[in-house]
Amino acid sequence: MSILDEPAVAQPLRAPGSAPVSRRPRPRLPYLLILPAIVVLVAVIGFPLIRVVILSFQEWGLAQIFSDASPPFVGLDNYSRILSDPVFWTVVVRTLVLTAIMVSVSMVVGVGLALLMERVPAWVRGCITFSLVMAWAVPTFVSTQIFAWMTEQNFGILNYVLGLGQHNWYTDSRQGLTVATLIVVWGAVPFISITTYAALTQVPAELVEAARLDGAGGRQVFFGVTLPSIRPVLVIVTALSVIWDFSVFNQIWILRNGAPSPDYQTLAIYAYTQAYQGHEYGYASAVAVVTVLLLLAVMVFYIRQLVQIGDAE
Amino acid sequence: MRRLSRFGYAALGLLAAAVWAFPVYWMVATAFKPGRDMYSATPQLVPLHPTGQNFSSVLGDETFWQAAGNTLLATVLTVVLAMIVAFGAAVAVARFRFGGRRSFLLGILIMKMVPSIALVIPIFLTLTEIQEASLGTLQLTDAVPGLVIAYLAFALPFAVWALRGFVMGVPPELEEAAMIDGCSQVQAFWRVTLPLIVPGLVATSIFTMILAWNEYLITYFLISSPEQYTLPLWLTHFVTTEGASFGPLMAGATIIATPVAIFFMFVQRNLARGLTAGAVRG
Repeated sequence: MSILDEPAVAQPLRAPGSAPVSRRPRPRLPYLLILPAIVVLVAVIGFPLIRVVILSFQEWGLAQIFSDASPPFVGLDNYSRILSDPVFWTVVVRTLVLTAIMVSVSMVVGVGLALLMERVPAWVRGCITFSLVMAWAVPTFVSTQIFAWMTEQNFGILNYVLGLGQHNWYTDSRQGLTVATLIVVWGAVPFISITTYAALTQVPAELVEAARLDGAGGRQVFFGVTLPSIRPVLVIVTALSVIWDFSVFNQIWILRNGAPSPDYQTLAIYAYTQAYQGHEYGYASAVAVVTVLLLLAVMVFYIRQLVQIGDAE
Repeated sequence: MRRLSRFGYAALGLLAAAVWAFPVYWMVATAFKPGRDMYSATPQLVPLHPTGQNFSSVLGDETFWQAAGNTLLATVLTVVLAMIVAFGAAVAVARFRFGGRRSFLLGILIMKMVPSIALVIPIFLTLTEIQEASLGTLQLTDAVPGLVIAYLAFALPFAVWALRGFVMGVPPELEEAAMIDGCSQVQAFWRVTLPLIVPGLVATSIFTMILAWNEYLITYFLISSPEQYTLPLWLTHFVTTEGASFGPLMAGATIIATPVAIFFMFVQRNLARGLTAGAVRG
């Protein structure tokens, strides 16, 4: 049984007095209950998604905002402009590389910390959990400001600790993006660690013990018993991280004071800048559509995993 | 050897705790430092001359209170609307079996993944057009009502999914038992199920509130005049308008993050479960 049809009750909430006719659920009520949600979802997500696709085939700039004429359709012009734009391809590569680094560092540190939490005394675990939950609670627009202050050129504590003098972290975008990666990792690890630790405590002790009795070493127990049991959780956490990191925005945007130079731009920021500063809504929509399509590959994988994991239960 | 490695793990664990706590500590410590201590060649680990002047400069700032009011209004409206609409849908998918139920759930799952960048451009243009069509009687862009409409795009799928989990957590047998004891179906739901869902309603409202409180990307796009800023925009504009004065900035950050952090710690366990809920059970 998949998660999408969990045992919903066959015939609940009968209208009073309808008992003799029932045996079959009344079909109207659930639709009435769900209708407002569908109307709002179509208005705020469904319609915008259709519109962004239409926009991506239109010429939609400042001229169109101030005129009453409807914007002209330009076919695949926006897309061919994207594909022939070398900047766009650099942005795509940067986004993919950055996502890969952010996700793998977050996962390695996060899972490592979860394993460490299993091996420390309870009071140390308490300290770790407290710090992690506190860090988790900090909104990204705040954590980015904190890291901006810590990496400040003249008085930032990072330069002091590393003995770098008055090093500017932002002239080289690779260093600046390293700071952004640190912010993302710092913010993502609490969720990963706490979720993975919760999964680790659910690994049946009998299984581990049985493996030990059969002579398995620590490594064998880990790869043979622990890892397979927490795999479903790891898959979901990784997929969510990919989705979040792929569309990372706040950490870079705020770190660069709302004006990231081209060598700082990822897909989301590139599309945003084109629309916000360039008023190139058609072109920006095409970039956004391509972003969603790239992400869709991950989303399909994620949803398939969700459904499969549900099926196994 | 064994003892040594136990000690090593504990030390490593404490180090990790310190690394994750440090930025938060540094924010609060900086907020309490007077300017000359903040900008000293050797950073002071502990504020030696603690002062409340950074906090009072934030709290004495009119634009801060204006932004706080806007944020509160947008957040409350979003939460109330999302909860009213989501509750019915959550009850429907958790308690009934009907055609289209599966597609609806799949749709919600997909909608939770759509990045804001794909929504913000069409939402902005549509709001602008509606506003123009109304000849300016409806103020939607650069105003709180437009924000609420846009916030629903992420708040509603989340609220439906989370509430559905909480409704499913109440066994329908309880309701059936109450009906056998003579309750009508409405009474049974009202008296038995609803009180058991209240904690879930509270938790979901708080998460939705945090999501709206922290929203930045959409808000930045839709809002341009400073009178309409929300707190995230107000905070990030400190840097440009006041020339990066990190003392008040960190004090403002502390003030804005504190309520979020308190609420968050309150319901964090539920959130951890909720985010991966699809995986294990709803």
